Amino acid sequence: MTKVKVMPSNTESQCYFIQLQIDGYLDGDLSEAQCGVFMSHVQDCSGCASEFRYAQTIQDAVLELPQMSCADSVLEPIHRLSAAEMQPAVGVRSEPLSSQIWELLNSVPAYFRYGFPAAAVAVVAMVIGTNITSPVGSVEPLVASESVEQYSPEDISQALDELNVAIDYLNRLSQRTEVMIGDRFLVSPIQDSINASFQKAGIRENNPLDNGPI
Amino acid sequence: MRALYQQAIDQHRHRIFSFAHYSLRIKEDAEDVTQEVFIKLWQHWQKIDHEKLGGWLMRVAHNSVIDHVRKQRPQQANVDHYADVEEQVAQESGEGRLDEDGFKSQLQAAIKSLEDPFRSIVIMRDIQGMSYEEIQVCLELSASQVKVYLHRGRRKLRENTQLRQLFENQLSEKSEVKQAGPSGQ
Repeated sequence: MTKVKVMPSNTESQCYFIQLQIDGYLDGDLSEAQCGVFMSHVQDCSGCASEFRYAQTIQDAVLELPQMSCADSVLEPIHRLSAAEMQPAVGVRSEPLSSQIWELLNSVPAYFRYGFPAAAVAVVAMVIGTNITSPVGSVEPLVASESVEQYSPEDISQALDELNVAIDYLNRLSQRTEVMIGDRFLVSPIQDSINASFQKAGIRENNPLDNGPI
Repeated sequence: MRALYQQAIDQHRHRIFSFAHYSLRIKEDAEDVTQEVFIKLWQHWQKIDHEKLGGWLMRVAHNSVIDHVRKQRPQQANVDHYADVEEQVAQESGEGRLDEDGFKSQLQAAIKSLEDPFRSIVIMRDIQGMSYEEIQVCLELSASQVKVYLHRGRRKLRENTQLRQLFENQLSEKSEVKQAGPSGQ
């Protein structure tokens, strides 16, 4: 009722006020008294009646607009995605990365869990060792024909003699320090080790070396 | 979880697609928005309050539509061209449906041309029949803001000159028919 009293007396202002209430009337938000004032004005005022009809037409047309249907094909990629990601999405998604890694490690067998890092360390050590011992850029084989040709037969013979002396010395040294435990040498003579290595490599299988590898 | 996700898609897909379609008026863009919304649903499945799933989805759709509208702006001329073609086709499709189809096509174009949040609120409230509370949740607005924006959006629709022109043409045609009716008998 209060709003009815506030209604301006000027016709133009009245029309403005009524037209502001069109949406409220269409939505059913006006009170009974407000509806009465609204409708009586619309019946008397052709401008407001036209405006009201226009608003009602638009409102009806909007309400009649259909709900669009979403085709199944639109969501096929979504279904594929959700199916593919099902496993990670269920349990692991919310866990921190560290716990995921720990779970993964625990699922691996122990021999692989410890053996693989050890093997990796060994390989790295071998690679590093090779790089240290061999000069950078020397990719030629150690027994390259050019390098052998640089030494005379006398030089080679002298080197072999020195090598035999060294091996003999090391052999005697190891025999002095050898210790028997059961049937095995804890420190075996170096000559035996060298011969065993050559036998293992398939060199001179039927003629094991007695005085050294050379 | 997958079953629940599927259920959520089935429940909301048409509403999301429809909202995007009326907002953008390009089917492919509406499909893109729908896909984006449900991908985000999958990605955020465990963080969402599932009791407010509908509101969350509509909010994501609303944001996605805004992104697409920004992308569409350079192609606005094409969109207007499509709308013109649609209207022309509708007018050529038959005498009886000429005005109605033309009017509805123009109405959709007028809805699309509204600025946000007027457009979203008009679509949500008047086309999709969502309650004020649902719209409040979706757009994070107060109840009074939703009502004010809805009324302003409707008024802006009525201010669309082409729409008004079509309406007045219809009125004058009807009055002509009425006048011609008794003299013909």
